[in-house]
Amino acid sequence: MSRQSVPGPQRVDTDPGRTWTSVTGKLTVTDALRGTLLTALALVVLIPIVWTVLGSFKSTAELSANPPTILPSSWSLTNYTQALTRFEFGTFLRNSVVVMVGATALTLTINSLAAYALAKFNFRGRDALFLLTLATIMIPLQVILIPVYQVIASLGLVNTLWGLIVPAAATPTGVFLLRQYMLSLPDELLEAARIDGAGELRIFWRIVLPLCRPALAVVAIFSMMWRWNDYVWPSIVAQNESVYTLPVALARFSAQEVVPFNLILAMSVVSIVPVVILFLFFQRQIVQGIAATGIK
Amino acid sequence: MSVTSVAGGSGARRRPATRRPSDPAGSRRRSKPLRSRLVPYLFILPNMAIFAVFTLYPAFNGFNISLYSSSNARTFTWVGTDNYARILRDDAFWAVVRNTAVYAVAFVAIAVTVAIAIAVLLQAQRRAKGFYRAVIFVPVLISPVVVGLVWNWVLERKGGLLNSALASVGLGQPGWLIEPNLAMGAIIVVAVWMHAGFYILILLAGLQGIDPVLYEAARMDGASAWVQFRSVTLPMLSPSIVVVVVLATINGFQAYDYIFTLTGGGPVGATTLVVQYIYDSAFRSPIRYGIAAAASALLFITIFTLTLLNWLVGRRREAV
Repeated sequence: MSRQSVPGPQRVDTDPGRTWTSVTGKLTVTDALRGTLLTALALVVLIPIVWTVLGSFKSTAELSANPPTILPSSWSLTNYTQALTRFEFGTFLRNSVVVMVGATALTLTINSLAAYALAKFNFRGRDALFLLTLATIMIPLQVILIPVYQVIASLGLVNTLWGLIVPAAATPTGVFLLRQYMLSLPDELLEAARIDGAGELRIFWRIVLPLCRPALAVVAIFSMMWRWNDYVWPSIVAQNESVYTLPVALARFSAQEVVPFNLILAMSVVSIVPVVILFLFFQRQIVQGIAATGIK
Repeated sequence: MSVTSVAGGSGARRRPATRRPSDPAGSRRRSKPLRSRLVPYLFILPNMAIFAVFTLYPAFNGFNISLYSSSNARTFTWVGTDNYARILRDDAFWAVVRNTAVYAVAFVAIAVTVAIAIAVLLQAQRRAKGFYRAVIFVPVLISPVVVGLVWNWVLERKGGLLNSALASVGLGQPGWLIEPNLAMGAIIVVAVWMHAGFYILILLAGLQGIDPVLYEAARMDGASAWVQFRSVTLPMLSPSIVVVVVLATINGFQAYDYIFTLTGGGPVGATTLVVQYIYDSAFRSPIRYGIAAAASALLFITIFTLTLLNWLVGRRREAV
């Protein structure tokens, strides 16, 4: 059901707009007022971000100027190269990428396998397992930080990238979204493949997964954004600098003031850019994914 | 890359078993039902194993830990409900509870109101709607740590962007992060800035599901824009609003990461919320594991109760 209603809004989105403008092409006072308000809002959102980007090109002297200068004196990338060479931001960046990619791959694999079982098989305990999964959406990691840390510690995963990747991989929302999508796949298709003698994993890999690409994309995008930006859990597991991710490094170094602030700003921009690009490319999927959580 | 290797690895293990039915073997009639009964369990196993080890077991164990006392996370002494008694007598804990309550209530109220207002504005907008929607979503994409440190810089008392702007038009320059009440206001406003885009998208999806005929009928009855909003938009939108309230409540009680880089919980604890209290008790010396676990348990009970309440109230509204 939720799958059908997701693409709907997109269509409604464009059509009335077009007919309205053609019927009443005139700009009314409310239109002008609304446009002004939205532009003001957009500025409130954008100004701090643009300010950060501008700041990332400034020198420490320029940053401490009062009143501040608006544009940097030069657009050279020295802040960026310095952060990567003089401090270990290259390592932190690599750790962030490894965690993001590894965790997303693991999440997609185990979530889709579980979702397939929940959507397309009848087995004892299925509904109980599904309800259990749903119920834990309400247990945020912040609430179980300590016992999870104990598990990690007893498995020897503190200060390893595995300790960052594995614990939150079995996301209940991912299982839920994929299951809902898989429910809509026709059973006849799977039966036909079974009659042809295809093994269960082969059916899953060759038939189910390709058909679920839109839902997989949604889960992948959210997993990537979340892992890339995550701080609380990584800050507990990563106690050595060698396993810091970008957010952990930024938080620690800005608190200790060991790294000059212009370099912190440059690395903040580095942390912002990939997700914004991801968003621009996959805006439609992201909007639909969020709409799907809302409709449920 | 690791998707293929993981799936390929387990595929190699399972393939002989699944291929056997096509082999001429007499035993297949007996073995096949058992195997096909096992298949779904094998599919669900990896997810459930990780889930059990890193979510379910810790969730139960968390309550267990809250009944012990430990200062090093290795040796535990049974103290019963003493941890709870101790935090309930602790003034610092009550200050944190007060801060969290103020923060969560204000955040939910402001974020939900602002999100509804902006969603309605956006829904009515014809030109550049997609652009505004995208821009308003951008803060959701940024790491909370970065949000905190950027706003800390913008709100700096001397030379910060906001105060410089205020000075240039001849206004006073308050110490946004130095004055306790202003600091609380700052973390609330920044939280709204950071989360509203997500809520707006959910509400927009809800708004687009409202039948335009309802508005037409209301207009024919002579309903003003405000009456239309009150009697058509709000009731029709209430399922989405419930979702947003639930999300905002959970976000409100979980807040920590961006506060760490924005105010660090200061000035003098004025913006220290419960998650920071848990984090500091567990991972900063003096380590008080049991205390942290007891506070976690109380936080869980609070979130659980509020979510249930939100949901029940939402349900009842829908029924009426």
